[in-house]
Amino acid sequence: MSNNVKQDAKQNYLCEEVPPFTIATAMEEASRCLLCLDAPCSQDCPAGTNPGDFIRAIRFRNFKGAAEIIRTNNVLGGICARVCPYEVLCEKGCSRTGIDKPIQIGRLQRFATDYEKASGFKPLKKVEATKEKIAMIGSGPASLTCAAELAQKGYKVTIFEEKAKAGGVLSYGVVPARLPQYIVDEEVALIKDLGVEIVLNTKIGKDKTIKDLKAEGYKAFFIGAGIQAPKILDIPGTDLDGVTNAVEYLGSAKPSNGDIEPGSKVVVIGGGDVAMDCATTARLLGSEKVMILYRRTREEAPAHKIEMNYVESLGVHFHYGFTPAEIVGTNGKVTGIKGTGFRDGSTIHLECDKVVFAIGQMPDASVKDISDVSISPKNTIIADEETDCRTDIPYIFAGGDVVSGGKTVVQAVAVGKRAADSIDTYISKEAK
Amino acid sequence: MNKRKHADLSVDFLGFKCENPFFLSSSPVAATYEMCSKFLEAGGGGVVFKTIGTYIPDECSPRFDHVRKEGQPFLGFKNMEQISDHPYKENLYYLKKLKEDYPTKCLIVSIMGSNEEDWTRLAKDVTEAGADIIECNFSCPQMTQENMGSDVGASVDLIDAFTKATLKGTNIPVMLKMTPNIEKMEVPATAAIKAGGHAIAAINTIKAITHIDLDLMTALPVVNGKSSISGYSGAAAKPIALRFIANMKQDDYLKDIPISGMGGIETWEDCAEFISLGCKNLQFTTSVMQYGYRIVEDMISGLSIWMEEKGYKSIDDFCGKALANIVPADNLERDFKVYPKIDYDKCVSCGRCYISCFDGAHQAITWDVENRKVEIDEDKCVGCQLCLHVCPVANCITPGKVVFKPKDQFGLGSEAKYVEARSGDRNITVGQYDE
Repeated sequence: MSNNVKQDAKQNYLCEEVPPFTIATAMEEASRCLLCLDAPCSQDCPAGTNPGDFIRAIRFRNFKGAAEIIRTNNVLGGICARVCPYEVLCEKGCSRTGIDKPIQIGRLQRFATDYEKASGFKPLKKVEATKEKIAMIGSGPASLTCAAELAQKGYKVTIFEEKAKAGGVLSYGVVPARLPQYIVDEEVALIKDLGVEIVLNTKIGKDKTIKDLKAEGYKAFFIGAGIQAPKILDIPGTDLDGVTNAVEYLGSAKPSNGDIEPGSKVVVIGGGDVAMDCATTARLLGSEKVMILYRRTREEAPAHKIEMNYVESLGVHFHYGFTPAEIVGTNGKVTGIKGTGFRDGSTIHLECDKVVFAIGQMPDASVKDISDVSISPKNTIIADEETDCRTDIPYIFAGGDVVSGGKTVVQAVAVGKRAADSIDTYISKEAK
Repeated sequence: MNKRKHADLSVDFLGFKCENPFFLSSSPVAATYEMCSKFLEAGGGGVVFKTIGTYIPDECSPRFDHVRKEGQPFLGFKNMEQISDHPYKENLYYLKKLKEDYPTKCLIVSIMGSNEEDWTRLAKDVTEAGADIIECNFSCPQMTQENMGSDVGASVDLIDAFTKATLKGTNIPVMLKMTPNIEKMEVPATAAIKAGGHAIAAINTIKAITHIDLDLMTALPVVNGKSSISGYSGAAAKPIALRFIANMKQDDYLKDIPISGMGGIETWEDCAEFISLGCKNLQFTTSVMQYGYRIVEDMISGLSIWMEEKGYKSIDDFCGKALANIVPADNLERDFKVYPKIDYDKCVSCGRCYISCFDGAHQAITWDVENRKVEIDEDKCVGCQLCLHVCPVANCITPGKVVFKPKDQFGLGSEAKYVEARSGDRNITVGQYDE
């Protein structure tokens, strides 16, 4: 592969796949909106976004007002605009579908938040921190949202992140073609501007403990540590050079701006959005042939169909109905993978030099070191993130993937908001 | 509510401290207590209650039509409705209840009589019912009776008589609503003020025919095979409204008279435009008919965000600020021209600028057939910027280099050359184009 081609490939990897709207094209799209009476779009967002209101603001050329509607409800509005599965959320009930096709709500949300940034408009004002100190453990979307909400209520919030960059899955998972790193950095900066302090390279339970933090005056904790431990199948050959997993593959590609060896023939195992992200990464970074091996059917794959369509459009081969049986290699290096039929006796043998497991993640065993809260056999923290995010220790709250085992970014945002309310209630009623 | 007010929008209009200048105009959108109440709850500063007369009109059906261009509906809107069709006593009851329930909101009541006694009686009754201000409707273009409607607005004598008759029945401020179906609005407006009126409302609808039904060979809407010329409003009316208002605000006699502006107002930007020409009160109907009272939310949010960013503390800070810069055509500087600049990274090679420049301007754009590329011929270009207006790509054609014309450009045998201007020499923006 020549240097030039590689350079282009990296460009593809780093550039956002969907182009932005200009004012003119955003107005065209907003004019398609029927501004319908009960705005079904506004009833389907886990985070409570109100597209009916912000699209109407765009339609009446109140672009900054639109940004304000989005941002005051969801501090990660620009991120969600890019990573949300709209087709199953806000766009699903769009009345315009009765005429032709739904309004591109995500793209309009992206337009409004882009406009906000370009014009220097700041819908969120810093609130003086006069209340108690609260700590967030982990800096993924749930923690970031919870931190911003608490800072807006006047709390002194600190986020502790074990890695070198804030953002969790946003910085170490989602491919730049869907979510460029600068967008994550900008929204993290926006949260810092609200008074939230972010301490990087600090793992709670190792570098510092909750006990230490309590001694420093922190009154409540939100654990949003995410899920970093990859699931690997127990089959022969997983120790071969060239076998990796999604956490490692995506987590080294994004922070290095794609400076990895993606493999020339890559097999991704799994049928979820993370598997799609792995396949996208490989393909955009120039892998010659990328294959997805998934044991069930296309219809059963948990990945959002819009993502699967995109991955298919990149020329990725899908092999449905096979379970990996053995990874084969020579001289300690991967040369292929063998699979057997999940529901029949078929066999498959794919040649490859890279195998990426993307069959799910779970919380790291070190989640036990963070605190003494009850933990399920799957290492997830036991808390009801649909209500108050409380654990069995009154001052410790938890939510996001470390509780659910893996959901979408917008669901994490919703949990972060609920956790902030719950912590506020706890501090004002119980902690005094 | 996540649409917030970022600046003080309150404004004194005829002695009434309005929380903002956004009012429903006298029309079907402000015809009952329930309607006005819903608008006031949505955030409106007040209403102009639909014109009350001394009789109930017999309305036709259907009564509306609208103009579209390339798929956009409601560019202009035609209506054939007349004054309120609710019983007189019911209307007075609505007024009383509105004032009782919304004492801080401004209640303007539109009235229309057919003779002086009518006007006096109407003024007296609506004042007693709780009106804060009266608006005399001198301008409805679809009235079926003589001495009513836009014919009044065109007659200085009737304006004088009816204004005086109205004032006889009341002690609250009286505003006169003008028809645009004349050449100079300054004439009837002056007559109204000289007769004792306190303010002008402008503009009422424009007499129009929107479409012809080519099968039935009549205008739209078709009322059993026939139709009428009647009032036209909406976005298409805004430029006409703005010019009448500027003319009045620049008139020596009228310049300090408060004006309630209306005509095609839909967005906060429209509102800001009317205010920049000196209006302290704004009315709208067509946009509400299309989208509902909720449009006022984005007027409040959008205008106040803009004011906050501009550093305007109140409406008064920019009210009338554009008037000084609207000058007679012979006062414009004509010693320079602005070339358009094409951004070839953005150009999609549609050739629309070439077509418009050749067929509609000065043949100053060339088309390279092989490479599908347009180029400006600076020798021929006069800087009219038609190309910029037709270009469909955001920010592709923008105002570029400014050059001063040769001093004796029309001199015979002149060798004078165009001289490029330094930045800041001329302040130019061409139209409203979206970046």
